[in-house]
Order: sequence, then structure tokens, then C-alpha cells
Amino acid sequence: MRRFGIGAVWALVVFNLGVLGWMGVSALREHTAIFDTPWGLETFGQIENFVRAWSESNFGRAALNTVVLVVAASVVVVVVSAPAAYALAKSRTRLSGAMAVFFALGIGIPVQVIVIPLFVLMQDAGLVNSLSGLFVLYVALSLPFTVFLLTGFFGSLPEEVEEAAEIDGAGPIRTFVQIVLPLARNGLVTALLLNLIGLWNETFIALVFIQDSEKQTLSLSLLGFLQTQQYSGSDYGALLAGVCILVLPMLAVYVWLGRRIIEGLTVGAVK
Amino acid sequence: MAVTAIPVVRPRKAVAGGGALARRRRRTFWPFLLPALVIYLAFFIGPALASLWISFHKWDGVGEMEPRGLQNYEILFSDDTFLAAFGNTLLILVVVGAATFAVSFGLTMVLRDMRGKRFVRAVLFFPYIISPLVLSVLWGFLFRTPEGLVNSAWAALTGGTGVNWLGDHLFGVIMIGLIWVNTGFYTTVIMAGVDRIPPDLYEDCALAGATAWQRFRHVTLPLSWDVVATAAVIWTISSLKIFEFIYAFGGNTNDMPTVTVWNSALFVYGATFGGRTPQYQFGYASASAVVTLAVITVLVVLLRRLLRREAVAF
Repeated sequence: MRRFGIGAVWALVVFNLGVLGWMGVSALREHTAIFDTPWGLETFGQIENFVRAWSESNFGRAALNTVVLVVAASVVVVVVSAPAAYALAKSRTRLSGAMAVFFALGIGIPVQVIVIPLFVLMQDAGLVNSLSGLFVLYVALSLPFTVFLLTGFFGSLPEEVEEAAEIDGAGPIRTFVQIVLPLARNGLVTALLLNLIGLWNETFIALVFIQDSEKQTLSLSLLGFLQTQQYSGSDYGALLAGVCILVLPMLAVYVWLGRRIIEGLTVGAVK
Repeated sequence: MAVTAIPVVRPRKAVAGGGALARRRRRTFWPFLLPALVIYLAFFIGPALASLWISFHKWDGVGEMEPRGLQNYEILFSDDTFLAAFGNTLLILVVVGAATFAVSFGLTMVLRDMRGKRFVRAVLFFPYIISPLVLSVLWGFLFRTPEGLVNSAWAALTGGTGVNWLGDHLFGVIMIGLIWVNTGFYTTVIMAGVDRIPPDLYEDCALAGATAWQRFRHVTLPLSWDVVATAAVIWTISSLKIFEFIYAFGGNTNDMPTVTVWNSALFVYGATFGGRTPQYQFGYASASAVVTLAVITVLVVLLRRLLRREAVAF
């Protein structure tokens, strides 16, 4: 029984790694070869797949858009959330407790429930089909989770340091910026990281709000690529190269900071 | 994949307390909170209320709003597309959820004292941080006919052509895929709960000659119950947000996948912005969104009731 369990676990591990490996290998093979022998290795070494994906379906432009957008939105959402989370974590009144719950409600609101009013709102502001509009939405929609996550981190900081800072005559803003933020660095980095990952993979909002191809994010490029292949014929090699362009940065981040990511994502459930 | 977590807001001690620090905190409370609060009200609470308002109207988003009372809701409950989408949402919630939790518990029990457990956990968790769009494309490649990995392996072994997975069993393929994607996350969460159980309890079990099932039933499950309950709420919320993984299966025929695999998130998109000729039925789609939100709320409240048990102190 136990041996069977261990076998099953390793089979699953092999499966996950196999899918990843297959993706990487096939992204470097020719379409017809993948089609004929999906398990094979013939025609391995087609760097052109990546070149085609990059140039023909606008992945280059989309990659630039995505990187700028995702980094900017992640930084801004942490900057806006940090003071709020600090206020919620440290002021122990009934009001702040209620506010913390109120913010957490946002985590439970699926985006498809609010997308229609958001669309109307952004249309009135002239921010539909614009990367700045997408930036605003990304910041706003990442807010509840970030506030929730950071409230937990600030709550675990010791009081004494702030008391000492106060005795030394530091004002509230100075205490926050110079004492509290450096102490909470770990939490801030985790929040930044989780937002980077979440927004890098975001598709639904981009799909609704962006139409022009030069404003596309990587997710949209990949979707567009799937669609053009219906007309101009499939090209599995280039498609998988496109998939790799989306996956490899996340894979690198995961290999580098995996433990922190796992802890950050599961902290809410376990605490 | 939506980054999800669950509000576990602990009751705090309401310290009316004096002290300069507390006083100062009260002064800075609003300035610190306000920017986030304004954004939150404008982009979450306002729109959620607006959805409710719009759901009582007929509206294409451009012209005049035409009041309709409860008519949208009446149509909704006799609309086969919506009912099917809603049914799929519940199928995902219950069937995929139950399977994911069962597999996750199974994995946890095996992983608990296995060598290389951190490596295994990291590999299993990995799909959770990959774009669902990508996972959907890769999952589709496994099940294509005839060139997919599953069918070509089948052909090599038996010579037969195998099953037309994506044609005949698309929703089943999607459900299995969702189990695959989510198992790593829930295994990690449950494992964290199980890891807190003192090992001497298991030693007692061994001394008393308990079977693996008894050990699970009488030690592991009750002592990790609060974590499981929270994880169930997380699953309820995040299962309703599933969109991309299903949407990308539309890549081969039309812009949207066939309506038989829609869930309620795809229904909202299909009734408004999606497809070759967008419908822009803002009122109607809002009504379906409101129904979804109402159902989540009821389910989360029910789940919390149902799963609430006396916490076992250890």
C-alpha cells in the first residue's frame, strides 16, 4: 500500500517534469515532426520556432508591454497597500478589525462579477484599449489580496522597535518609512513577487480591455497565435515556443525563490 | 491563476489603551488607509453594487438603460445555456473539489515521511504558478486526436486510434486537468496542517496497532480539520474564478469553446464581450454574475457552518 503510494507520487512528479520537458523539447522541433511522432526527437534544434513566434505574432512587443506593466503595477500596489495594511495591523480598534474583514471580502469577489461596471467606468474615463487603463485595473484588482497578505506581516512585527523610535523623537511617517518598512522587507518582497506572478499570468482583464495588437500582453499574444493558426495552418513548434516564452521566466523565478512563493501563497490558509 | 488566499481575520483585542504610540496610531490611521480604501471602494464595492443595479435593466452599455425588474432573472432560469454553465460550475466545485482534496490527502499521507518530500512538493506545486492559458494548451496537446501524446502512446501500444478526447469528452478532460493543476496547492496547504500534529501521537497509534486508515480517521483528519475547512473555502472561491483554463480550449473551432463546457465565468464573457459577434447583453450578464456571487456567498457561509467543529487542542 505504502509502496504503491510512493510509486504514485513519483509517477506524478515524472509526469509534471515530463510535460515541462516535452514542452521545451518540442518547442525546438518542426511542426510536421511533432505531429507525426509527438514522443520523438527528430528535427530537434529548431531555434527558428522562437524567432517566428517572437516576430510573427508580436511576442516581442507583447513581452515589453507585459514586463513594464507587470513590474509597474506590482510595485504600485505594494506601495499603496503597505501603509493601509500597517494601519490595519497596528491600530487595534474595532473599526480597524472590521476594515480588515471588509478588505478581505474583495478576495472573494470574482472579477467576472464586476467586469461590466468596470468596463463602463473605464470607457467613461477613456481608458479602454489602453495600457494605462490596464495598469490602473491591475493595481486595483490586486489590492485586496496584497492588503490581506501585508496585514499579516505587519502584525507579526515587534512593537518595541516602534516604541524606541518614538522615544527617539521620530514622527509617524519617518517611523514607518525608516523603521517599519525595512523590518517588513521580507513581507514586501513576497507581496511583490506574488503580484508579479499573478499579473504575468493574468488573461481575463486583458482580454476584455485590450483590442489593439500593439497593446497586447503576452497572454493575449498567445491567444492570438492560437487563433491565427486556425487560418494559416497549425505550427505546433512555434506555438510551443510561444508557450515557452510565457513559462520560462516564471520557471526561473520559481527555481530561484520557490520556497518563498509557496509560503506566501499558502500562508493565509495555514495561519 | 488567481493568487488566492483566505481571510482568516482573528478577533483582536480591542485595546482602548492610552500611550503616545496608540494615540499617534489613531491619528495616522485614516491617512494611511485612505488611498487603498478609495481604490477598493471605486473598483470593487462600487462595481459590485452597480452589477446588482444593472442586472435589473436591459442595457448594451451604450444606449439608455431600460428597467426590466426581475425579468433578466426569470429568463436566466429558463436559459439552457446558463443552466448548463451553472451546472458545470457546480460540477467543478463539487467533483473537482472532492477529487482534489482526496488526492491531496492521499499525497500528504505518503509525503509525510518520505525522502525528498520538499522536492516533490515543489514539483507538484509548480503548475499553480503557471498561466492557466499555458496549462490549457499543454493539456490540450496531451489529448489531441490523433497526434496527442495520450493517443499516440495508445496507438503505439495497441494499434488502435483511441478515444476522441477533445471531441467527445472535453469537459471530462477539463475536469481532470483542473485536478492536476490544483492538487499541488492543496497538498501543500494540507501538509502544512498535518505537519503541526505532534509525531508522538503517531507513535501512540503504532503502539496501539492502528491501521493506516484508523490513523488517518482518528488522528490526522481531526487534528488538521481547521486547515481543511479553510482550504475548502479557498477552493469554493477560486473554483468560481476559473476562466482561462476552459477558455483556451476554444482555440480549435471558434473564438469561444463550445457552450457545453462553459462555466458561469465564461457565460458572463460570452454574453458580453466574447465571441466573433459580441452580444453586449450587460443587464442579462450582470444578472448571471449576481446569481454567481449570491451562490458563492451562500456556499461559503454554509461551508463554514458545516465544517465548524470543536477545535481539538494539541
